[in-house]
Amino acid sequence: MTETETQAVEHTSSENELPQFEKLKKRLTTPIFDFIDADRSGKTDMLGKVFLLVPAFASTLIIVLILGFLWYESTPILTDPAGGPGIIVGPTWDPNRNLYGIAVFIVGSLLCTVIAIGIAVPVGIGGAIFLSEFCPMRLRQPIKMITEMMAAIPSIVYGLWAYVVMVPYIKNVLAPSLQNNPITGWMPWFQGDTNGLSLLAGGVILAIMLLPTVVTITNDALQTVPRSLREASLALGATQSETARKIVISAALPGVGAAVVLALGRAVGETMAVLMVTGNSLQIPYTLFDPTYVMTSIITNQLGYAFVFPLWRSALFAVGLVLMIMSICFTLTAKFFVRWGMKTRGYI
Amino acid sequence: MSGRGDALISYLKSATQSRRHFTDFLFKVVLGIVILIVVSPFFLVLFQVASIGFWQVFGSGPGQGLEFFFTFPGIGLEGGIRNALVGTVELIVLASAVGIPLSVFGAVYITEYTQPGWGRSIVEFASDVLAGIPSIVFGAFGFAFIVDFLHLGMGIVAGSLTLAFMMIPTVLRTTQEALRAVPMSLREASLALGATKWSTTWNVTLRAAFPGLITGVLLAIGRVMGETAPLIFTAGNNLTVPTELTGSGSWVASMPYTIWAYISDPREYLQAKAHGTALALMIMVLTIDVIANIISRKVTRRLV
Repeated sequence: MTETETQAVEHTSSENELPQFEKLKKRLTTPIFDFIDADRSGKTDMLGKVFLLVPAFASTLIIVLILGFLWYESTPILTDPAGGPGIIVGPTWDPNRNLYGIAVFIVGSLLCTVIAIGIAVPVGIGGAIFLSEFCPMRLRQPIKMITEMMAAIPSIVYGLWAYVVMVPYIKNVLAPSLQNNPITGWMPWFQGDTNGLSLLAGGVILAIMLLPTVVTITNDALQTVPRSLREASLALGATQSETARKIVISAALPGVGAAVVLALGRAVGETMAVLMVTGNSLQIPYTLFDPTYVMTSIITNQLGYAFVFPLWRSALFAVGLVLMIMSICFTLTAKFFVRWGMKTRGYI
Repeated sequence: MSGRGDALISYLKSATQSRRHFTDFLFKVVLGIVILIVVSPFFLVLFQVASIGFWQVFGSGPGQGLEFFFTFPGIGLEGGIRNALVGTVELIVLASAVGIPLSVFGAVYITEYTQPGWGRSIVEFASDVLAGIPSIVFGAFGFAFIVDFLHLGMGIVAGSLTLAFMMIPTVLRTTQEALRAVPMSLREASLALGATKWSTTWNVTLRAAFPGLITGVLLAIGRVMGETAPLIFTAGNNLTVPTELTGSGSWVASMPYTIWAYISDPREYLQAKAHGTALALMIMVLTIDVIANIISRKVTRRLV
């Protein structure tokens, strides 16, 4: 490149810069002059726009703060030689001996969730199909009302019911009857003595708490299936149940998927009811009647004592971090299902 | 009557016509039983709580009825639950005072003032994530951030701020849905008359979206009213009402926490009090929920 060319380039660039700078200056000062020139309602309008910006990003800020603080609080255990990221698979939790393995709680949580989902999803989807396809008009509104009220009942009330009614029932009726009769008595998952506080109790109360979520969301998904699909199927001679099983459910599959994922998220994060009925014993349960310990319970039970011990406290926050990451994953998956559903309906 | 009976008999006859019809019949019966299983826990819980707690809440004997709600627990927790009732009301009022303006203004900004794009989807995604976070994680966060990092200490301020964070996603998303349902023509009419964006938003759009907004607020209040886990490490417990804003005098009791403390207590007479408190809490929450439902039915079907 020759000298003149370079100069020319520089020259043009500096020539362009001036108007750009002017433009920027104008852009910055125009709102100020506009504001000074405006009347009272105009001033309110402009100020209001700026003032509303703050709360809009507050919710985003809170997410960042929660993630940041969980990370900040759990760094000591993740960098300490006694801990490290290996605590996720460490089987022993004993803060007195500096052992902070949280695998017990993760396994406990997953087992409870599997039982709960295994009960709640088939029952909930069945209920939703009945509600949307076969239910007499007169019963539909009351049943919907009841499921929505079930979703509103505080988890501590479910916990109280499970603790007072279900736990003694499992101890006095269910466990003996299952273990003493020859048909089910030999099965490995029904073995073991129990005081009622068990994996089964936690799974069942969780399933009850998930039912309204599954029923409501699945029902909404079934209701959005176009009527023409049902009519086409019935016109081809299919019975009502065949239409419901083969046409309506497959058309509503994304909504059902979203319902299942949202229920999963609720199941993993549920605290009080599970805490009261799972027995909180530091072991991996091998039968349905063994007590167990879930992630949410360990935080609730020990954070109060642990906050003066840096490593112990930080291990508890690491459990919280795992919970948080799981819930973000579930939210993302649910969003994916919702997008898929909108795509199949042609909204996107 | 006979017409209906005949219809039933002819339906049953058609059910035995072929295997397919019989499967159809069986499927419906099984699903009918399933829906009974789905709704039965509601009545089981209500029955259990009411069978023990009913006289505690509605009776007129000593320590029952109004006396149950308006005496402090006192020595040996033999009194009522005035501390918990007042504490829950105070926590909810403070949490609403922080959480509702924050989420309503946020929803107004992102629906009315921004174009659809990454800014809007970030806020929407954040509130969806907030809605899915386990309540104990909120409790741990409140403990780490508000109690410990900001040095506010446990008490009414920390507890209600934590609850306010939990209210944000519900109120924000329902307000957004309500604002989106307002027809564009209303806004355009107001703007065409020379109103500014600000006065259009406050006097026209928000007024039209008000029922939906109230629904969201009520649902959020109903939800946080029953939360125990976030309050354990942020609000503490108290046998009387809080007298200060910070320090140990600001610890505050709440109804869910009281239920938990009473039910896990070995003393026999506390069981009835726990059931009474649970019944009162259930009545409060369900009343709020039903009101919210009635308002939302009248206006629009809420999207989950």
